[in-house]
Amino acid sequence: VSEPRERALTAPQGVAGGGPKAEPSPVSGRGLFLTWLALMVLAALSFGLRFAHLGALGMPAALVIAGAKAVLVALVFMELAFERPSIRIAFAAGLVMIAIMMALMIGDVVTRAVPPLQNPPGTQPRTAG
Amino acid sequence: MTAPASAPASEPLHAEHFEDLERQAHAARLGMWVFLASEVLFFAGLFALYGTYRVEHPEGFGEGVLHNTLALGTTNTGVLLLSSYTIALAVHLLRGGNARAAQGLTALTIAMGLGFLGVKATEYVEHFREGIFPGGSGAFFVEHTTPGIAMFFTLYFCMTGLHALHVIAGMMVLAFLLYKMRRGDVTPLRSHPLAIGAVYWHLVDAIWIFLWPLFYLVPGGAR
Repeated sequence: VSEPRERALTAPQGVAGGGPKAEPSPVSGRGLFLTWLALMVLAALSFGLRFAHLGALGMPAALVIAGAKAVLVALVFMELAFERPSIRIAFAAGLVMIAIMMALMIGDVVTRAVPPLQNPPGTQPRTAG
Repeated sequence: MTAPASAPASEPLHAEHFEDLERQAHAARLGMWVFLASEVLFFAGLFALYGTYRVEHPEGFGEGVLHNTLALGTTNTGVLLLSSYTIALAVHLLRGGNARAAQGLTALTIAMGLGFLGVKATEYVEHFREGIFPGGSGAFFVEHTTPGIAMFFTLYFCMTGLHALHVIAGMMVLAFLLYKMRRGDVTPLRSHPLAIGAVYWHLVDAIWIFLWPLFYLVPGGAR
């Protein structure tokens, strides 16, 4: 009978010896609660900004807050902060693809909205009437 | 190499083709994350559409946001954030050995998913009653002709409808895991299936985090 092993990766589980161990949680119950609290505070902030009449800044502000909430959910609740590189890289690849798609789309929309090229000074077309 | 002869009398917790449970759990999590990356890309296409049309028609989109019921959308945000916490806690407690509490919290999470869908259904019924249908059909669009408002509600139905389908799928996954926990297939020693199901549920929450400002919260410079 061998002594209990520390590292799950090197110890075949389910075989005689230390016996299988429960996977430890990377985040404590308190940590989970505080994360939820932070999410609620951010949601309340977003809700409050709705009535602050931010105008054109309203959507960027709301999206930044939403992004912060999503990052909290991904890193803590989904445990991405504690995952191995293989998993983080796999998911990051998807995000890189989205970044490319969004960059191309924004590039399109922004350039589409620009008025036609202006004539250089001194070469203004003469308009009748 | 573990020779089959050295296998214990009790059934091993991991599948035959894996060396141990840790590797099996990692493979399962990796598979889920690759799937989630594809899910995020899937939704990103719709978010891109929304962004493009909103830039073109800020007034119509602003009017649409103001027409939606902020209280209901905000309620659903709170419900999903809380359900994310309860399922995260369920995973945490299951790993800590408290299987009964984990089952209770999983059931509670499913119930909150049901509550979310109830609110969503109430909204859809209200929209249909007002004559708001996808594709800009319905009596509402005869009176409300601001450019872009039909696009807003079509995207609203597409994106929240697709999200609602994901909520339903998540509830089915969690219900299956609840059954597996009751049967003793998902236990404190073999908890990774619940952790993976929870990760999917969190994604559904994360997507709603972005849908909330787009469809309920920010009318833009309109008012």
